[in-house]
Amino acid sequence: MAAAASPIVLPGDAIDPSLIPTSNKKRPLRLGPGLRHVPPDTLQSTVAGELITDPKKNTMYIEYNSRRYIASPNDLVIGQIHHSSADLYYVTLNPHAPQALLPHLSFESATKKTRPQLDRGQAVYARVAMANKHMDPELECVSQQTGKSEGLGPLSGGTVFAVSLGLARRLMLPRPREDGGVAVLDLLAEEEGLVFETAVGRNGRVWVGSESVRTVVVVGRALAEVDERGAGFGEEAQRKLVRKLVRETKA
Amino acid sequence: MTVAAPEANLGILPKSDGSATFKYGGYTVTASVNGPIEAARRDEHPYKAHVDVIVRPAAGAGGTRERHLESLLESSLSQIILVKDFPRCLIQIVLQVESVPANDYVNTKLVQAGINLPIIPALVQTAVLALLSACVPMATTAAAAVIAVVPAGGSTKAVVDPSQRELETAVSSHAFVFTAHGQLLLAESQGDFTMAEWEDAHATANKICCEAAKKDGMEMILDDEKQAGPDLQAFLRSTLEAKVTEDLQWR
Repeated sequence: MAAAASPIVLPGDAIDPSLIPTSNKKRPLRLGPGLRHVPPDTLQSTVAGELITDPKKNTMYIEYNSRRYIASPNDLVIGQIHHSSADLYYVTLNPHAPQALLPHLSFESATKKTRPQLDRGQAVYARVAMANKHMDPELECVSQQTGKSEGLGPLSGGTVFAVSLGLARRLMLPRPREDGGVAVLDLLAEEEGLVFETAVGRNGRVWVGSESVRTVVVVGRALAEVDERGAGFGEEAQRKLVRKLVRETKA
Repeated sequence: MTVAAPEANLGILPKSDGSATFKYGGYTVTASVNGPIEAARRDEHPYKAHVDVIVRPAAGAGGTRERHLESLLESSLSQIILVKDFPRCLIQIVLQVESVPANDYVNTKLVQAGINLPIIPALVQTAVLALLSACVPMATTAAAAVIAVVPAGGSTKAVVDPSQRELETAVSSHAFVFTAHGQLLLAESQGDFTMAEWEDAHATANKICCEAAKKDGMEMILDDEKQAGPDLQAFLRSTLEAKVTEDLQWR
């Protein structure tokens, strides 16, 4: 589905006022990643990408693919426990970046007496609770509203694979096959009958868990290949790749 | 002298956040960009990111010349990167010079010794491309050119992209870096020159670096005057448009 006439912008390009959505008067205009407001009334892009506008939600952002994750609130991420202090876990989201903080009490039904014991290297699925350029990001594995984990928490077994941020976002779409053009996971499950579960983090990490090591390897390799081939790698090509990988790894 | 059109390749290094190879006028430079990452304690700045540039020569280890180039690039690139968005961080740019133009007239083994100016455009251009590939937020893009003022029968003339021989015989040479908005970012000169000659060189370089930015506003000018050098803004834009279109083909 080709987005009709979404212009490609470079850093420093002023966004033409005609592109700014005005139909929805009730909500204020929200700027997403890649855009900045230069007072008094200029909108500038800060990265090279495609300008996407949503008149319904009155939002604008720049869609682009990159490899370095910059934390922003409410993102679901997969981190790795680096070490623990008296009441915090230090979690790596990105290599060579400052660690994110995960309080020991930010787990479902955690109290001072019963808190989850996580080892170094353990993968966790968490939500970014606070992200601020002057402070290290803070994570949580429990919903503040319901007090339930809602699928967040330690990811046991399985393996974490690194992909580009663009692919991670495509996998996180409600329908990755139809809207995102990533069919490998569906194909592996439906056509090859592999049994596995996945969790995708916005920081470009995909966790794959399965009873069989072979399945984990096949899924990881398929994702790496799709990432490397770029966005033009169509569904038919993905089907071929899946068949090839499954055939190659057959014992 | 005719110079082949500039060539660029983005995202060639699999492990870095962004990378680019740029080939122009006999120079080939490869750059990798990582960032924003954690800065060493001594480089940490509480309000802005530290931009670290490392220049590696084509042969041998770097010396004073490379340190000088690094300091020039660091200060110019800090102006266009939005350093205030990433306090206490580091943006690391490594520039590896792969080949430099040979001097047809002098038989020399020592490639390193020589003047600094002519390599500045290649380094700046590569660094900007790699930063764009890494999606590091920037206020604007930049383009660079070098101009030599060579004696021509009693008077002097400005030569764009001079050959090694022309540089040797030049009275003075000038390197300019401009932002996409036409602001002067870096001006380095050497040799004897008058203010008029500098103005002339500045005007020529400005034309090469910022032509496309200005063309947008005016009606199309049908090549009534011959372009002195390549249109670097148009080159940058077409390179990035190709990258973005490829990345976002799934949409």
